[in-house]
Amino acid sequence: MTFEEIHKVYWPKVYRQCMGYMNDHDAAKDITQETFIKVWQHLPKFRNESSIGTWVFRIAVNSCLRQISKDKNMPKSEFPNEIVEEILVNNEPQVEFLYKCISELPEVERIIISLELEELKQKEIAKIVGLTEGNVRVKIHRIKEKLTKKFQKHDRQHRL
Amino acid sequence: MTDNIDFKRYWNKQKIETQTPEELIKKANEFKRKTRFKLIAGNIVLLISCIGISFIWFYYQPEFLTTKIGIIIIMIAILIYVAFQSTLMPLLLKRNLEASAKEQLLQLLQLKEKQRFQQTTLLNGYFFLLSLGLGFYMYEYAVRMTFIWAVLTYGIVLFTIALNTFYFRPKTIRKQQVRLNKLIAQLKNLKEQLTD
Repeated sequence: MTFEEIHKVYWPKVYRQCMGYMNDHDAAKDITQETFIKVWQHLPKFRNESSIGTWVFRIAVNSCLRQISKDKNMPKSEFPNEIVEEILVNNEPQVEFLYKCISELPEVERIIISLELEELKQKEIAKIVGLTEGNVRVKIHRIKEKLTKKFQKHDRQHRL
Repeated sequence: MTDNIDFKRYWNKQKIETQTPEELIKKANEFKRKTRFKLIAGNIVLLISCIGISFIWFYYQPEFLTTKIGIIIIMIAILIYVAFQSTLMPLLLKRNLEASAKEQLLQLLQLKEKQRFQQTTLLNGYFFLLSLGLGFYMYEYAVRMTFIWAVLTYGIVLFTIALNTFYFRPKTIRKQQVRLNKLIAQLKNLKEQLTD
C-alpha cells in the first residue's frame, strides 16, 4: 500500500479514534496529523508482521496516550476559526453526545471503544493495547452498558 | 429508548477534517528539521561558550594555575551537561512502533523516572562545578585589583552564585519535579488501567 492509499483509507478512521479520545476537533486533527507523519516516516521500515491497519492504529493509540506527556498548550491547528466552527455545528446532536460520552471515559476505555466502533477485531484491539482478548471483551461489554445508560438517561431528560 | 443503540451508526457520522498527503509530507519534513534543530541548538550554544573560554586561555595566557583549573572545571561542567543531554535525547525520540500501548507506557514510565533522578543530580552538579570554576578563574584577576575592587568583584560573583544556588537552581529543579511527578502519576494511572 502506498502512503496515499493508507492516508485515504485510514485518515477518517484515525480521526474518529482521536475524536473519541479528545472530543476536540483541533486536538484530533493534530494527533491524526502526528500519527500520519510517523506513518510516513516509518512506512519504509514497516515489516508485514501485523496488518497495516493494526500498525496505523497502534501508532494512533500511542500518539493519543502520549498526549499527557506533552504540555497542555499543544500547538493548535492552523485552521482559521470560522472553518472549525462551521464544521462543529454540522454534527447531529446524537453524534455529539456519543463523542462527549466516550471522551469522558477513562483513557484506556476510550481507546478500546473507539477501536471497537472502528470494527477492529477484539484480538487486534488486545494486541494494540496490550491486554488479553478476554479482558478486552469484558471491557467492551461494560463500556457499551455505560454508554447505553448514559444515552437512556439523556433521552429521558430530553423528552421531559 | 431500546437497550440496543446502534453506536456505530452515530460513530461513523462524525465530520472529518482532512489534510492532503502533500500537506502532510510537507509538515513531516518541517517537523523533522525542527526536531533536529532543537536537538543541536542548545548544545551548540554551550559548545560555543567552551570555545570562547578556551580562546581566553590561549589569547590572554593566564599565569596562575587557579585560572587554568577554573577554565577546565567550567569546561568539564559544560561538557558533562552536553554529553548527558546528547545521550538522553535519542532515548526520548526512539520508540518502538511495533510495541503495544502497555509496553510503550512502561518504557515511557521508566524513562521519566530515570529523568527525574538524573535531572536533579545533573543540575546540582552543573551549578556546583560552574560556580567552583568561576571562583578559581577569577582569582588571578582579583589579585591584580586593589583590595576594594577585589572584594566588590568577588562579592558580586558570590552573590550571583548564591542567587543561583538558593533561588534559581531550586526553582528550576522544583518546576521540573512538579511536571515530572504529575506526569509519572498520570502514567501510573494509565498503567493501572492496562492491568489485566
